[in-house]
Amino acid sequence: MSALMKAAVSRSPASLASYLYRNIHVAASGATSKDASVTTNMTKAYTVIDHKHDALVIGAGGAGLRAAFGLVQEGFKTAVVTKLFPTRSHTVAAQGGINAALGNMEEDSWLWHMYDTVKGSDWLGDQDAIHYMTKEAPHAVIELDNYGMPFSRTPEGKIYQRAFGGQSLKFGKGGQAHRCCAVADRTGHSLLHTLYGQSLRYDCEYFIEYFALDLLMEDGVCKGCIAINLEDGTLHRFQAKNTILATGGTGRSYFSCTSAHTCTGDGTAMAARVGLQNEDMEFVQFHPTGIYGAGCLMTEGCRGEGGFLVNSKGERFMERYAPVAKDLASRDVVSRAMTVEIMEGRGCGPEKDHVHLQLHHLPPEQLKQRLPGISETAMIFAGVDVTKEPIPVLPTVHYNMGGTPTNFRGEVITHRGGADRVVAGLLAAGEASCASVHGANRLGANSLLDIVVFGRACALTVADTARPGDPQPPLAPTTGEASIANLDSIRYANGSISTADLRLRMQKCMQKNAAVFRQKSTLEEGQRQIHEIYKQIKDVKVSDRSLIWNSDLVETLELQNLLINSVQIVEGALAREESRGAHAREDFKTRRDEYDYSKPLEGQSKLPFEQHWRKHTLAETDPATGDTRLTYRPVIDRTLDAAECSTVPPVIRTY
Amino acid sequence: MNYTIIKLFQSYNALKNVQKVAFSSNTTNNMDTTYMEIPLYDVEKQQPLEKRKARLHYQSRKRGMLENDLLLSTFAKKYLNGFNEKQTMMYDRLINSPSNDWDIFYWIVEKKPTPKEFDNEIMNLLKKHAKNEDKIALRQPDLH
Repeated sequence: MSALMKAAVSRSPASLASYLYRNIHVAASGATSKDASVTTNMTKAYTVIDHKHDALVIGAGGAGLRAAFGLVQEGFKTAVVTKLFPTRSHTVAAQGGINAALGNMEEDSWLWHMYDTVKGSDWLGDQDAIHYMTKEAPHAVIELDNYGMPFSRTPEGKIYQRAFGGQSLKFGKGGQAHRCCAVADRTGHSLLHTLYGQSLRYDCEYFIEYFALDLLMEDGVCKGCIAINLEDGTLHRFQAKNTILATGGTGRSYFSCTSAHTCTGDGTAMAARVGLQNEDMEFVQFHPTGIYGAGCLMTEGCRGEGGFLVNSKGERFMERYAPVAKDLASRDVVSRAMTVEIMEGRGCGPEKDHVHLQLHHLPPEQLKQRLPGISETAMIFAGVDVTKEPIPVLPTVHYNMGGTPTNFRGEVITHRGGADRVVAGLLAAGEASCASVHGANRLGANSLLDIVVFGRACALTVADTARPGDPQPPLAPTTGEASIANLDSIRYANGSISTADLRLRMQKCMQKNAAVFRQKSTLEEGQRQIHEIYKQIKDVKVSDRSLIWNSDLVETLELQNLLINSVQIVEGALAREESRGAHAREDFKTRRDEYDYSKPLEGQSKLPFEQHWRKHTLAETDPATGDTRLTYRPVIDRTLDAAECSTVPPVIRTY
Repeated sequence: MNYTIIKLFQSYNALKNVQKVAFSSNTTNNMDTTYMEIPLYDVEKQQPLEKRKARLHYQSRKRGMLENDLLLSTFAKKYLNGFNEKQTMMYDRLINSPSNDWDIFYWIVEKKPTPKEFDNEIMNLLKKHAKNEDKIALRQPDLH
């Protein structure tokens, strides 16, 4: 007894479970690898431990933690599986804030926020989800405040709200709105810290540094996931009546991105592997000036203070593309100009694949005073002294608007035979999902709002449709076997290409062919190359055979995930022959909607669904070959309640 | 019976770790956002040095934001394998105790003073590493 007590006190609940299993043969519920009904020899070589919970959350960023906290508050026994310690999820990088129409700085209405978001999405966002998000925003923020998140306050004690791009009053006619609520410059961290702390006051079990391999599906119903414990190499099948995917974006598909190295599209790839569709993957948001190689952002303030971009000839090329605004033209104009310069051979560096941001013509005093962080960032990450040399920069991926499609309640859907159908047992929230609130382009400070509202929505939906302790039949012994086989083959992979090389090839292909500048010839080249690279995963070489803290193994599994996401991005971009939001085609420069909104609608006939592009792309990929099939789904224009909030009719988007 | 005991200990441990929760309705800009106690990563747990280093490589490559990914992964590639046990523990405590990755970044680039418990030879080495005296563009190093 005392040995058991000692073990119980010194271990985390998860490692206690595996300790007990191995040493005391206490059978956890469900099948285990000692069960004779397990068929393959391979599975017998791995220790598999089963867990049963009411709900499972994969990913412990803002969306995952908000969902987990909501669930445990409602009494659901919840497991959270995360490959990182919760406060190290990429949400921590968010320094902006959360938009909500609280009206603390001026008179405000969520209807105006809804309008701004629909316009920002270039009318590709689903207006029912946008209605839901902007209406719930004030409640969600006040709830967070009540849970202890220390928002910055005004002198009267109300939550302080600041201005942010794209937010207006009175449907765009009332000037700049101030609706971004923040915690100084650490909103993301504060969100994670608060939610993690609060969730632990209830029955929430964290499985930290467990890498989720695949979703477990039986007869089209999601039953949970299978994951590997990186600390001891054991495999775990997490069974739950409801699973929430909150794994974040896939920035690492590209060579230059601002995302942490953890953003590898794990959830969207897991969904693809079980035959689900991913929506609007081609919509990727870029920021013009990220440091070449590193990806850290060089703020627009550099150009605002007089810095400018030059090509290999030393020419200030923005004067040609935007004679009036020059280097301060809008982000997408600058990004496209930079890419054109590179494509036409005037790029800098040995591979001629970036341009230079020049600041050394500015007086050093001005640099020091107005742009203090810039000099440091440039030296630390680029090895460049900004008073003497230019900084190598190129357009950098910042956010993925696409993801696993859901309805406004957070339930994952598929669209087949012209109808949306909910996938039983699976929900999704955050950057991994596509509700779609951001449509073709995301507004700043709407991303933190998205994760909080839809994390909360998933918890509310589960509370509506299930009860704590709902019975669950045991998992079939073979469920998850394919994942174990995949893990085994990757673990012993002994091909000729290292993971790092293959990953770099993919990232450079994406950066060159499917980045800011898109046209048929380069997208087709990108398509050809990405499929070739996809097949090369079979020839990958993993140098470390261990199951314990094996970074090589994990990064190769992540590369598998990145490849699925990359293929879906390229295929979606190639097929979409229009320019909308963040997806800009040189060969199809305008938006192609069902009506031509640049002219009066009278006398126009509505184009049939197949002939216009105001629709969502759905991509399904065969994980074995990379072959991808695209279908389309209509944009939802009707709001949740027309009396409360009317649909915003499409117009040409100008700012 | 065993299960009940396990559950009791789990709750006991959880309660032990979550000590104080303050509900704030009159917070100010200066409020420390780490006021709510959350369980710390168990750095002191016994494990073979090799295993600890393998974990630290993983954790150096996978941080909350890009800046720390780059600084810590390049640092770990250069120095971690050569650390003795004491140095490894110092590094482990440094990257696994603070709740906010940004704090670690600000201490490394000397935007904020390093707290006493992390002000040691490892931190000094990190600060020197961040100065990038070789003036290279940082990229996450290959594993092998």
